[in-house]
Amino acid sequence: MISVKDIHKSYTKDSETLKGISFEIGEGKIFGLLGPNGAGKTTLMQIIATLMKPTSGTVEINGMSPDNDLLKIHKILGFLTTEIKLDPVSTPDHLFDFFAELYDIPQDEINSRKEKAFGRFGITQFANRRISELSTGMKQKISIAISLLHEPPVIIFDEPTNGLDILTSRQVTDYLKELRNEGRCIILSTHIFSVAEELCDEVAIIVDGKIVAQGTVDELTALSGEKNFEDAFFKIYVENHKEDQ
Amino acid sequence: MKKAYVIFRWELNKIFSNWHKTVTLFLLPAVLMMLALNIFPLLINYMSTGSFSKKPIVLVSAPQSFRDYVKETADANVYSYSDMSFREFSDLFNVTERFKKSLSGGTVICFFAPGDTDDSFDNAVSDYYKEIINGNNKAESEAVIYLGYDLNSLSGGLRARQFRQGVLEHYQSSLVDRLGGEYANTGSNLFSVDAFNPVTKLMDNRSTADESASRIVPGMLLIMMYYCVYSLVSDMFALERERGFWSKLKMTPVAPSHIFAGKIMAIMVIVSAATYITALLLFLTSWANTANDAMSLLPFGMMLTPFELFILIVTIPFTVFVMTAACISTVFSLNKIQDITINLQLPLVLFLADFFLQMFRGTRPMTAEYFIPMHNSLALISEAYMAQEKAWHVIAVLAVNTAAALLVLRSVYRKEDLYDKRKRHS
Repeated sequence: MISVKDIHKSYTKDSETLKGISFEIGEGKIFGLLGPNGAGKTTLMQIIATLMKPTSGTVEINGMSPDNDLLKIHKILGFLTTEIKLDPVSTPDHLFDFFAELYDIPQDEINSRKEKAFGRFGITQFANRRISELSTGMKQKISIAISLLHEPPVIIFDEPTNGLDILTSRQVTDYLKELRNEGRCIILSTHIFSVAEELCDEVAIIVDGKIVAQGTVDELTALSGEKNFEDAFFKIYVENHKEDQ
Repeated sequence: MKKAYVIFRWELNKIFSNWHKTVTLFLLPAVLMMLALNIFPLLINYMSTGSFSKKPIVLVSAPQSFRDYVKETADANVYSYSDMSFREFSDLFNVTERFKKSLSGGTVICFFAPGDTDDSFDNAVSDYYKEIINGNNKAESEAVIYLGYDLNSLSGGLRARQFRQGVLEHYQSSLVDRLGGEYANTGSNLFSVDAFNPVTKLMDNRSTADESASRIVPGMLLIMMYYCVYSLVSDMFALERERGFWSKLKMTPVAPSHIFAGKIMAIMVIVSAATYITALLLFLTSWANTANDAMSLLPFGMMLTPFELFILIVTIPFTVFVMTAACISTVFSLNKIQDITINLQLPLVLFLADFFLQMFRGTRPMTAEYFIPMHNSLALISEAYMAQEKAWHVIAVLAVNTAAALLVLRSVYRKEDLYDKRKRHS
């Protein structure tokens, strides 16, 4: 569903943020991106989400290229990042209706989807409160509900559990599993190893703009010779970061 | 364009569902401008006279014809008169200190004198017309009207000038009808005024009220427009980019051009409506100014013909369009919200400077001014208030502002639409 080929991205002439990233993800898979801050995860996700253009390389989603089918891609793509904050004076109810109209969802369908999404995340009782009056966790849940209201087959989540309490995190991870079981293709970036271990079918470790290791959590752990995935990650990181120095 | 309409509705709803924003955009600037217009003359009056109260016009030996004129004429009624006989005036004149103090306080004395005869002012004027009818073309009237005021008193000087232009000159013109006798019936229609046609009567006010309006109103409207555009562009573009909400909109299956169109339409509708309200309040301010103090920035009786009103109504949205385009360009050429805010405030300073230049300039706009985006609207509205507008002025202003806005938006749009095909092929 997602094909990323030899993506390079430079913000300045002197340095390259992404240095030839390639991978493919199929239906019903969660693909995790792990790496330290500044490794290039967010840049890569923004390129896949069509919010940024690569310096070179191609991205295809369901065989479509942003160059030719940008709006068609937007119809099948859901993107969630903590960097996107909802309009503080709007209510969840208004926001849902607004985005549903932009996605051409019929009116009767809007109400049933809203009821389902708001019910699932416990938003219903806050539906008519302003976003600015709600907690961080509630805002994140509303963001998820709105980002996925068009039921996209391809989903990009940048740090979906960042800043959330343990209960809300659990709700989100359970939801991601459900989405995978429904056959959605998900790219996920996270700093939390337990989330990666629990959710990801495949993981890519990015260090200094390159994928330095890719495989299942078990494969990467075994390859590194460490006891657990967290230690494996540190080993891989240190080895590859040193090589670049 | 259906999606653009959805965004347009959304933006309108955001403003109107928030009473704080609604009041800030629609009423606050208009009310502040009205207050400024009314407080400014009071302060100047106070600084020059030491008193907030209005100074009357003191009439000395006022003839019956003038009393009748005042009764019949709204313009003349806006002053408060106190009558004095020649003897009373002489007594006052002798008390020099009291007289000086009165004059320096802004008092204006209007002195009617028949000349060397012992007759009244009215009879002296009547005799003059009779002599003309009798064939004495060299007849000269000795009847005179003096205006006395302190040359050093700012408010006294201004009030005297306004009283002379707004009342005495019209009164002098009316004398032929009041005292001309046979001369008025047979000879001249030079001073005829269609007293039954309200439009003609209103147009008589153009020299004072509309001249002031042409200096004050266009600049105020432009400042008001820019204030609203600046606030809305900051909210709809700068803050949304800062919050990442702009990215969320760009992730929807809506073409970036439609996102821009929806938001720009919303800004145009909101700001135009707010500006119309301000223009209406300024109009009411003028008509509520019955005291018509000499320092009034908007004297009584501001008026536009239907065509001039049409020009005002049409010019405003086009001006808002070009202002919006300029502000959007600033927002998308900078990254930090602090830089954007500072850069968006700079044009406000320029509009203030333009406003003050317009207030004090003694010449009409030059042809080249109609080709400067935004400033050309000031020139056009100013000319409309002076009844000097021409069709090509209107066409030039609308065309220049639209072309400038589209050019600026085209470059912003190309920069913002990452996958724009034209850019890829270039």
